[in-house]
Amino acid sequence: MNVKILYLYPDFMSLYGDNGNVRIMDRRLKDQGFEVEIIKRTVTDSDIDFTDVDFVYMGSGFESNRNIAAKHLAGFKDALVKAVDDGVPMLFTGNSYDILGKGITTADGSFVEGLGIFGFTFKEQIEKRYTGDVVLEDCAINERYVGFVNRAGVPENNEELLFDAVKVIGNVPMTKDAVRKNRLLGISLIGPVLLKNPKLAELFVNEICERKGVKAKDIDYPHSEKSHAVTLKALMEAEL
Amino acid sequence: MKIRVFTAILVCKIIRGLAKLAGRGSSLPGKYALKICPDILSQLKLPELSLAVTGSNGKTSTVEMIAHILRSNGLKVAYNKEGSNQIEGVVTFLISDSTMGGKVKSDVVLLEADERYSRHIFKYFHPKYFVINNLYRDQMTRNGHPEFIKSVIGQAVYDDMTLILNADDPLVASFGKGREGTIYFGADNLPSDTKTHEGIYDDGKYCPVCKSPMEYEYYHYNHIGKFKCTSCGFERHAADHSLTSTQEKDGKASITIDGKYEIPVFFTGIYHCYNILAAFTAAVTSGIAPEKAAESLGGYILKSGRISDFTLGKLDGRLLLSKHENSVSYDRSIDVVANDKRKKSVMIIVDAISRKYYTSDSSWLWDINFEKLCGSDVEKIILAGQYCDDLAVRFELAGADPDKTVYFTTVQEAADYCAHNLDSFLYVITCFSDKEKILSIVTRRELS
Ligand SMILES: [Zn+2]
Repeated sequence: MNVKILYLYPDFMSLYGDNGNVRIMDRRLKDQGFEVEIIKRTVTDSDIDFTDVDFVYMGSGFESNRNIAAKHLAGFKDALVKAVDDGVPMLFTGNSYDILGKGITTADGSFVEGLGIFGFTFKEQIEKRYTGDVVLEDCAINERYVGFVNRAGVPENNEELLFDAVKVIGNVPMTKDAVRKNRLLGISLIGPVLLKNPKLAELFVNEICERKGVKAKDIDYPHSEKSHAVTLKALMEAEL
Repeated sequence: MKIRVFTAILVCKIIRGLAKLAGRGSSLPGKYALKICPDILSQLKLPELSLAVTGSNGKTSTVEMIAHILRSNGLKVAYNKEGSNQIEGVVTFLISDSTMGGKVKSDVVLLEADERYSRHIFKYFHPKYFVINNLYRDQMTRNGHPEFIKSVIGQAVYDDMTLILNADDPLVASFGKGREGTIYFGADNLPSDTKTHEGIYDDGKYCPVCKSPMEYEYYHYNHIGKFKCTSCGFERHAADHSLTSTQEKDGKASITIDGKYEIPVFFTGIYHCYNILAAFTAAVTSGIAPEKAAESLGGYILKSGRISDFTLGKLDGRLLLSKHENSVSYDRSIDVVANDKRKKSVMIIVDAISRKYYTSDSSWLWDINFEKLCGSDVEKIILAGQYCDDLAVRFELAGADPDKTVYFTTVQEAADYCAHNLDSFLYVITCFSDKEKILSIVTRRELS
């Protein structure tokens, strides 16, 4: 059986080794017995087709790139929103997560329209970066996620954010993070989030299998599990 | 002279004297001077000639080479040693070289300028020449990303400075847009160049000025090469000084600048060549005759210690010092291993990601071209350190043969494994922050 991964802006929004997420999904889906097709779409493409895709991913980029990608993606907003409503699993990490909201006030004061799937807005500045290791907790399922935040902006409204930041090492003004709608997850963490958080990778694989009508095989990924454990322990023990 | 300035200088000199007696060098004296007189830097009288060097890689080597050329040519040079490139450090080193009246005694002030702090320092004085060597993805847990660094360096650039820029790095070269009198250095088309981009990511794919796609005639490495925007006309600027060739014969290596200045070097690694070229260009722009600059560089032995040879049991090995959180430096080390046709194994150590601050971020591993390493006929790949599991996943997806890959949480276990199980040459790739963990186990040898 064939699964399609739609990788948005791989050459434009892959600043922090974000390509790792697609590669991890590719491997895990192959381990499940699927044939995997990775469709790459970027700013020079005139079409993005969301029909029949099984997983969508978008990573981080320079803010200038993110703004251009946001404008480009706005041209396909209806199709993207429909795919979200249809329950297509999607992962937006780093500052691509920002565009899921109403929009971003950039450092020069201009406003970049977001996709409007959520109500939050972001406000950016250019004087400094907000960077740091963080531990997020999803209280609903008692699960912790680890990773790094590296961004120029802060959310101006965090009412709908799901996870509690239980530890922040660095200057990131964060108490909550991440949004979810159907099977779309947006999260501030950068880079190969699915490596250090195998539970998230498993979640997406299960969702994809479910939509395909097959039962997900139980496969162990010991290196990923250990990476999560080592990092979580180190972060929880790290002094502020 | 204002009493405040005098007091600041006095206090700085006294604390520095005391610290020296205690055998400590630090930027503490400058910190106190700044408390007394926040604009102390603008109160100092600097010599006519001053230079600053910044960039992601090679600042220290470049500054040391410039200092060497200028000193060899009879100039008295004051420069900040590694680690003192924040404002407190700069104040400390400048005051320690100044009279009580605040006049810097040296003929030249040479500054290794931190990418992020230059904007604070150059508020108070402007170096005559500002060298920008390269802008890579480097320590992004601190630096954000190259375009952010470009914008903060931009805040340190003033109209009265002359920029000396790497013509082959589009992000760096874009500083020269609309600036008359900018000096450029770059490499000509070299035999080791490639027509297509090599590496996991391509930071030269889109124009830094207008974000349209760029085209390259050739790449020296990563996004460094001869580029041209397909839309706005931004393109590689002609270089004032060029690396024209590199030679290696009979175990002797040299590089040639401007087609006529041959400089013997220890190794011809491309980004080492750029540091030499940057130093040459800075010195010549400062008024040193090119043949004199070349002659001084020829006598200079690079002390950076990027390479260390060792034995481990019966094994011979070489440490290639790279920088964690800097994929370009890893890629260059991987080139060295891939180009070595001997039977070889490679150990990668990722234990402490930084020696200066805490982070567990290993995302940069996914920007390194480990695929090239895995495809280069390596006997064994030994992954070591606290983050060996992050490495393991990365290598698995890079196509490493599982039968050839081993993992160890500690460097000691990894070294024991190598000593007992390998019979090939052993390369070790790691960072300053982790190098002692292997060097304390192996026996160092003279470089061969
Ligand atoms: Zn352009």
